[in-house]
Amino acid sequence: MSDRLSVGIAEIRIAEPPARLVTYGLGSCVAITLFDAERCLGGLAHTLLPSAHRAGDVHRPAKFVDAAIEAMAAELVARGAARQRLAAKIFGGANMFEPLLGAADNAVGARNIRSARETLVALAIPLLAEDVGGNFGRTVEFDLASGRVRVRAVRGREGEMLF
Amino acid sequence: MSFPSLSEDQLDALREISNIGMGHAATALSQLIGETIYLRVPRVTVTDIAQVPELLGGAERVVAGITLQVLGDARGNILLIFPRDSAQRLLARLLGSEEEGLLFNELGSSTMKEVGNILASAYLNAMGSLLHLTLIPSVPLLACDMAGAVVDYVLIELSAAGDLALMVETEFHGVDPGEELIKGHFFLLPDARSLELILDVVGGRR
Repeated sequence: MSDRLSVGIAEIRIAEPPARLVTYGLGSCVAITLFDAERCLGGLAHTLLPSAHRAGDVHRPAKFVDAAIEAMAAELVARGAARQRLAAKIFGGANMFEPLLGAADNAVGARNIRSARETLVALAIPLLAEDVGGNFGRTVEFDLASGRVRVRAVRGREGEMLF
Repeated sequence: MSFPSLSEDQLDALREISNIGMGHAATALSQLIGETIYLRVPRVTVTDIAQVPELLGGAERVVAGITLQVLGDARGNILLIFPRDSAQRLLARLLGSEEEGLLFNELGSSTMKEVGNILASAYLNAMGSLLHLTLIPSVPLLACDMAGAVVDYVLIELSAAGDLALMVETEFHGVDPGEELIKGHFFLLPDARSLELILDVVGGRR
């Protein structure tokens, strides 16, 4: 259990096996994992807002989906990962209070998901899997030994899923 | 204005305003369930947004969370958090039914929203007439899920303006010392500009 490292809101962490990176209770926030399977080095980011570039604010990249992906990719490469081997998975982006907050398309969860997909395309990082949207919270656990991500939910669906 | 530069007088003023607001809300709740509701001394916390789920008892703890926006002269959010079992007991008391999935069905969730509406309205009314501000609660929204997931919408809104959250928190609880205790937390999270306005009105100048 001591291998489990917690990643807070607006935080990026890089780790190697046997560590597991965990972030708890994602709602509209989006978590992104990047992994170099050959080097067994990966990172997890827990982000709040779609775009630092649009907000003109880069002092805390981990708050923003786009800036966090860029910062995490750069950090992984600096730590010995190969840029072209990085692959991503994304989680979260729910709309917790569905009916009243206007069209689901404009909800911040949906905008976070879109920003993640667009940023990955722009950086040519393949998106291997995603578990996004819905109206329930998720806890995400990234196992650096296998690259698999376990997602736990207490509402909306039962139990755990592996990605 | 940034949140951390509050003086001791200003913190006192916020605690006092919240105590008055919460006093009215507690009266409303105790009339609703026919039980005396006790209040703890309010806490004012200025914290990094990343710490908020911890202050709510942990991001993964399952809670019933009701959120309302504050509209009118000052803006912000109200969060009302009940641990799941307390929410369950509150519903049992109000609806006279011990049914298991009550929290997740139509009747249960609209009852919880109504409780949120009554408490927030009582709180904002008292605070508004004290400060001579018009404060109106929005339609309440409810989610029963992990605390982190329930509150991150509010944190996202705050994080667009900065990295800090100011929370005025009051814990309340019923009389029953045993298993049947109903307790909850009431949070007011004003945005930075509204906080400035509130402090101007109470005269707690820096």
